[in-house]
Amino acid sequence: MNKVILSGIFAIGLAFAVLPWLGVPAFWESFLYLLFHWIVLAVSWNILSGYTGYFSFGHGAFFGAGIYGAAYLAGTIGWPFLATLPAAILVAAALGVGLGAVVFRVARVRGELFALLTLAITFVLATIILNTRIDGGPGIYLIGVDIPKLGPSQSASIYMMGLIAAVATLAISYIIYASKFGTGLFAIHDDEDVAEVMGVPTYRYKLYALAVSCGLAGLAGGIHAVFISYVTVSETFSIAVPLSVVLMSILGGSRHWIGPAVGAVFITCLLYFFTSGDYAVFGRAMVGLILVIVILFMPSGVLGMIAQWRRGRSTAAAVTAPPAHETASTAAVVRLANKPAPSTEVLLQVRGLTKAFAGLRAVDNVTLEVRKGEILGLIGPNGSGKSTFINLVSGHFKPTAGEIIFEGQNLAGLDAHRFAQAGIARTYQIPRPFSQMTVLENVAMVAMFGGTGMSRAEATQAAEEFIAFAGLSHRAHALPDDLNLHQRKFLELARALAARPRLLMLDEVLSGLTPSEINEAIEMIQRIRDRGTTIIFVEHVMRAVMALTDRIVVLNYGAMIAQGNATDVMNEESVKAAYLGKAHA
Amino acid sequence: MLEANNLKVAYGAAPALWDVSIHVDTGELVCVVGPNGAGKTTLINTLAGLNRVSQGSIVFHGADITRIAPHKFCQAGIAIVPESRRLFAGMTVLENLELGSYLPAAKARRRETLEQVCALFPAVRQKLPMLAGSLSGGQQQMVAIGRALMARPRLLLLDEPSLGLAPSIVMDMFEAIRRINADGLSVLLVEQNVSMAMALASRAYVLEEGRIAMEGPANDLLQRPEIRKAYLGL
Amino acid sequence: MAFPSLNLLLQSILSGIFIGGMYGLIGLGLGLSWGLLRQINLAHFGFVFLSGYLSYHMVTVWGIDPLLTLLILAPLFFAIGVAQQWLLSRFKISPFNSLLVTFGFTVMIESLIQYVWTADFRKLQSTYGEEKFKIGGLFVPVPELLTLLLAILLAFAVWAAMRFTDIGKAMRAMAEDGPIAAAFGINQRLLSLLLSGVCVAFAAIAGVCFALTFTLTPTQIFSWVGVVFAVVMLGGLGSAIGPLVAGIIIGVSEAIAMVLFAPSWAPIVSFSLLILMLLFRPGRA
Repeated sequence: MNKVILSGIFAIGLAFAVLPWLGVPAFWESFLYLLFHWIVLAVSWNILSGYTGYFSFGHGAFFGAGIYGAAYLAGTIGWPFLATLPAAILVAAALGVGLGAVVFRVARVRGELFALLTLAITFVLATIILNTRIDGGPGIYLIGVDIPKLGPSQSASIYMMGLIAAVATLAISYIIYASKFGTGLFAIHDDEDVAEVMGVPTYRYKLYALAVSCGLAGLAGGIHAVFISYVTVSETFSIAVPLSVVLMSILGGSRHWIGPAVGAVFITCLLYFFTSGDYAVFGRAMVGLILVIVILFMPSGVLGMIAQWRRGRSTAAAVTAPPAHETASTAAVVRLANKPAPSTEVLLQVRGLTKAFAGLRAVDNVTLEVRKGEILGLIGPNGSGKSTFINLVSGHFKPTAGEIIFEGQNLAGLDAHRFAQAGIARTYQIPRPFSQMTVLENVAMVAMFGGTGMSRAEATQAAEEFIAFAGLSHRAHALPDDLNLHQRKFLELARALAARPRLLMLDEVLSGLTPSEINEAIEMIQRIRDRGTTIIFVEHVMRAVMALTDRIVVLNYGAMIAQGNATDVMNEESVKAAYLGKAHA
Repeated sequence: MLEANNLKVAYGAAPALWDVSIHVDTGELVCVVGPNGAGKTTLINTLAGLNRVSQGSIVFHGADITRIAPHKFCQAGIAIVPESRRLFAGMTVLENLELGSYLPAAKARRRETLEQVCALFPAVRQKLPMLAGSLSGGQQQMVAIGRALMARPRLLLLDEPSLGLAPSIVMDMFEAIRRINADGLSVLLVEQNVSMAMALASRAYVLEEGRIAMEGPANDLLQRPEIRKAYLGL
Repeated sequence: MAFPSLNLLLQSILSGIFIGGMYGLIGLGLGLSWGLLRQINLAHFGFVFLSGYLSYHMVTVWGIDPLLTLLILAPLFFAIGVAQQWLLSRFKISPFNSLLVTFGFTVMIESLIQYVWTADFRKLQSTYGEEKFKIGGLFVPVPELLTLLLAILLAFAVWAAMRFTDIGKAMRAMAEDGPIAAAFGINQRLLSLLLSGVCVAFAAIAGVCFALTFTLTPTQIFSWVGVVFAVVMLGGLGSAIGPLVAGIIIGVSEAIAMVLFAPSWAPIVSFSLLILMLLFRPGRA
């Protein structure tokens, strides 16, 4: 975390705080207040939606909960106004968490469905408030409410509240952005399933982000209640709030902590410029047009564009000087003669493991053990259940039956991030890097969440070592999309290693590589094992299986049909039949 | 009739191909075998227009079709039975078959071809009004082959028709493929099940790690050491 | 809770059916483009209103019969739909971004309407606009009846086209597996343009019906979004008949809620249904 940035936020806040005492006209205080108001709303929305990618159209609901929380307590019941603000925060956050606790359990409510759901919540809440004693129809007046004196005038006091809220929101947004928690949220954004498998407690993190986001929206609402001083349902729960914050964030860049604030300033000024005349209609049309243009031409927003441009320059510089060790050795890999003898100590024990999909048993009653320090080859024809097996042992699927005992602890049925924390890591056959993180960030993220966990600073340092190990140092700041397949496969390896696993599962890391790249990868896997990592090796490139494995297990139709020394097993008739077809057997 | 010259295909995450050249002559049944991940599906999808070619050319009946739009491959006379069938699961079997004959030339003879498909796969006839997604794996495979036949292609591409099917059904499937070829249709078959494929094919290619490892007559292929090395590592 | 008379209840149910017809008519094009083109076209609502205003203009200024305006508006909006699809496919817009882009369009349309016709309420006056007849104690307004009949007619026409024509089947196939559909000769680009054109033309038809039945004001555009989304999700994305059925279910439930409780409770019916749909049957969407 950068202390300078944080102090900068507070320093700018202080500079704005003296304005009311310099005799600025009340009009400017109101205008600046609105600016702060939108900054709080847009930045708080971004903490959930920009960081995790769960686009909410329900920010109006949480904002409205804050407005009505404050308005009801202060205007109707007569609480002192300052006391209503914590209540507004709590009500909005509680609403959010209650909602999230249900919605985040339903795995498929993502993307546009989540957006729609939250929009619907807004209208339901509006209907309830309109028809109950909270509002009852006519709205709530807050004219008589005492506003705490924070400045020389009433408008100055509201200005000060808005300023404090904006500074606090920006500071929180930055702190999260720069923290391990924030890294976890970005991982959820890019690939939630992989994030969970890499050790991010996704459910809990989403709830936390939602709580913070909603609480800040509630705060904005509470303050806004006294600013507008007359609260109605139709104004509060209009579609304007969610759509404005989405627009502001997208425009500024939703992957950046300050992006939404940039967008908020721009849009608020634009709308103001047009409304101060007969051009309000054009102002709205302009907003619409800007939205279209931004999505079509710069979907990552202003700050996203800047980041892209900077990255483009740095990688262009890197490409001109490829390091020497990238030139692949084309020497054929011979069988590695002196394999260190693995111990007989059992690391992983799988008993009766079964996974059924709609009646089909993809993995059928498999019992096997993996010994500490060995490379166990897991092979079998296409569709024999190897990938399902890995998905089970990494926790991505929950088994239908059976036990997965890792270092004496039965992990079956636990969430995937618990598998990662226990010391199990995997690669994906089709690389699934976090697409909007650089190579370095991808690896550092796993170092933070895998195994025992690391702080962000430690993780970044460790990541550099793992990237060097995989020979990707010169691409450390590139995005995965800019890598070729070979580099993406090695990124998968580096990422899995960064978790410092005691059990590493490699899912067809060699497929799609050229023969010389395969040789390189075989050497690297050998080096990984030499560091003491136990490996389950799923592969179709048989020369690699022969070269690397201590033992192999053969699956066919989900069941284990053979295990033992590779050469012996491959000579068994049942294995030949499984591979080459029945007629041969 | 089909000639693929020095194909290089590299895209996204799928196994890539380097410098692959194959040809299929009229009336032949040619087989491409190789272990999983060797690029068999990439190859057959490329020949059906589903992947774009980076380098090399595809010539079909004398015309260069390398760069034509994906939906023009069918018109040129190539139809595919894709890996894991990829039927339109939410549509009926009949609709799936009709879509095979979407193009005008095939549509003109839809009724006649449908009869031929039902004669080839009697089980399909009773399933016509059912949703394709509700069928068993073997029945779906028949529909997938039927759908490709409905296009009245000059070359049929088959991608792992035995995948996930019980052994007895695999036998039926290969018998049907044999009959299709015997009726004069050229077939390019991609298969993991080497021995079954070899029993049908006249020529075969072995694909390993994205390249053609060897080619030759099918009958002695199984005894060749290259096969045992690619598959069994022995 | 007050118990209404049977006649009042029946009259409410009838008006619920009529409003359900309107929901279904608006939802038809929206659901088709969502289910088959994977685009969430918020601008659909903008197009409905724009068409309503244009129809209003042609009737009141040029004196054209409201139903005849359909003959002009439907082709015009078909062209708009084709243009929009061209733009979205040109930039390879994801489903979520299609929501944002078309929201931008909607805001622009809203501003345009406000500029040309102002924010005042506008009501299309026509010969049959106020007409109603009575069946056994129940009033049947002609414009609403017309809307319902059109909604039914279009829904069944689309259903038949999807089921019995090759182009309709090709569109469904394209939505299920685009690359394989292309491998059988289906030209996705062309069909997408066509489909988008048809969907927006349906918006134009809904707009004319809307103008016949309701008072027009530009700020109303967004108040229809929630209900119609609920209708489309409930009816099934890409379904022809579904939105109409769901529309009538929601319309009638709202009408009953209005009579039993208060009119202001009505929105809770559709939105609660939508929330339950999203939570418990997400597989359909």
